[in-house]
Amino acid sequence: MTLATIAGVGMTKFGKQADRTIEEIGREALVRAMKDAGVARSGIEEVFCGSSYGGPLIGQRILRDLGMTGIPITNVENACSSGAAALREACWAVKAGRADAIAVLGVEMLTRLGGGTLPLEPTDMEANLGNVMPAVYAMRARRYMHETGATPQHLAMIAVKAHEYGARNPNAQFQNRITVDDVMRSRMVADPLTLYMCCPTGDGAAAVIVTSEKRARELGAKPVRVEASVQQSGLYKTGFRDMASSELTERTSRLAYEAAGIGPQDVSVAEVHDAFASAELMYYEALGLCDKGEGAAMIERGDSGPGGRQPVNPSGGLACRGHPVGATGVAQIVEAVWQLRGEAGERQVPGAKVALTHCTGGGISGLDHGACAVHVLTS
Amino acid sequence: MNGGTEYFPVSRPWIDEDGAVRLIGSKCVHCGAVAFPPHLSCPVCGAQGGQDTVQLSPVGTLYTFSEIHIAPKGFTTPYAVGYVDLPEGVRLFGQIEGRAADLKLGQQVAVTLGPVRTDTSGSMVVSYKFKGLA
Repeated sequence: MTLATIAGVGMTKFGKQADRTIEEIGREALVRAMKDAGVARSGIEEVFCGSSYGGPLIGQRILRDLGMTGIPITNVENACSSGAAALREACWAVKAGRADAIAVLGVEMLTRLGGGTLPLEPTDMEANLGNVMPAVYAMRARRYMHETGATPQHLAMIAVKAHEYGARNPNAQFQNRITVDDVMRSRMVADPLTLYMCCPTGDGAAAVIVTSEKRARELGAKPVRVEASVQQSGLYKTGFRDMASSELTERTSRLAYEAAGIGPQDVSVAEVHDAFASAELMYYEALGLCDKGEGAAMIERGDSGPGGRQPVNPSGGLACRGHPVGATGVAQIVEAVWQLRGEAGERQVPGAKVALTHCTGGGISGLDHGACAVHVLTS
Repeated sequence: MNGGTEYFPVSRPWIDEDGAVRLIGSKCVHCGAVAFPPHLSCPVCGAQGGQDTVQLSPVGTLYTFSEIHIAPKGFTTPYAVGYVDLPEGVRLFGQIEGRAADLKLGQQVAVTLGPVRTDTSGSMVVSYKFKGLA
């Protein structure tokens, strides 16, 4: 079921931009998206702004200097899914007929936090005992490898593939190619995850203009349709949970496939939440891009890389495009739209017709993840 | 450093009888679900109240683990962490004494108490942790 169309997209380059402000990068992304859509300030009826660490009224702070005030501005916080959650609100608001053109922003400035692992909530049980995001994924990775026979070399192959794509993306934080050896020799972060298996922290902003089909036609844009916009939260379990698979991603993507009336085999390109290399392997399975336990075989065959059957993260993913938390979900949409319009340059997936974006995360004790959002876009 | 000792959680949901440590959880009188730390309402059946306290087993099975080399302030790296399954059906996250190289999935580990970090005032924070059993 078509919910809305994406009439324009824009983003900043991702990476460390400590000399700029979060408001500045937010405005840069938004202005690019509005220009791409050919929409004027007066044409934007509402704004949703996703950010996890941007602070109060981040949307208003960005929009003020553009004079885009006096309209409904809603700020959305949902950890790594903040941007994707903001997009979902916009898609359904358009579907409901509340507005014909909504700007969605994802923005984050992580250099403001200093380096190292992301801060977890101080009241969280596990955070108090020393759990950090890399360890959350590392423990899943160890269990996954134990159950499937995947090895650290497979995780390294994911990182190498990410860098191969990152090298083709001028907006990526990392644009260098690396080898399996480089990955294995990089410093240990949380065993078995080495530095190059972990996404970096950085700054960045992305924006999309969500419109009704009617408004997209009026704008003369080359529209991309949103066929599914689904968000779910993790299930709280005090007891045993299978950590070698992601129930949350399986559930969310199943709902998205049903809503879009497609199956995983129809996906021509996917942007997946590869916060850590092991997660990408596990999400191949959870999204149904391969069978259970076949994630390692999928990367070995090169199915998810350049020229593969179902390229995953042609943007370089979180590993190389970067992961300014709240911006990621919107940046995935920007990449998906470029792919569907055939404007992705050296990393273009030939003939891409259906794109899936998957954004999940948020460390919280007892849950798979705080949130997960899956979008299906078609050209 | 002030050299004091703090506890996490501050409610100290455990008993320590000469080093024999038992964690205290809750058990729902309606559906039997066990949780740790003790809950006031049941996250499984949704019952408000009716949560008995129960002593949990002192030994569990190591479901998975890692060794952390980059950590927030207050933690001394490297340190091993893992998820431990107790027979009551509860999975606990915690630090594990010693190095990860000595651990194996599926091995038995015992509940113990010990320092987990230093807080901003310099106090040592003590909580439950685990140690591998041969």
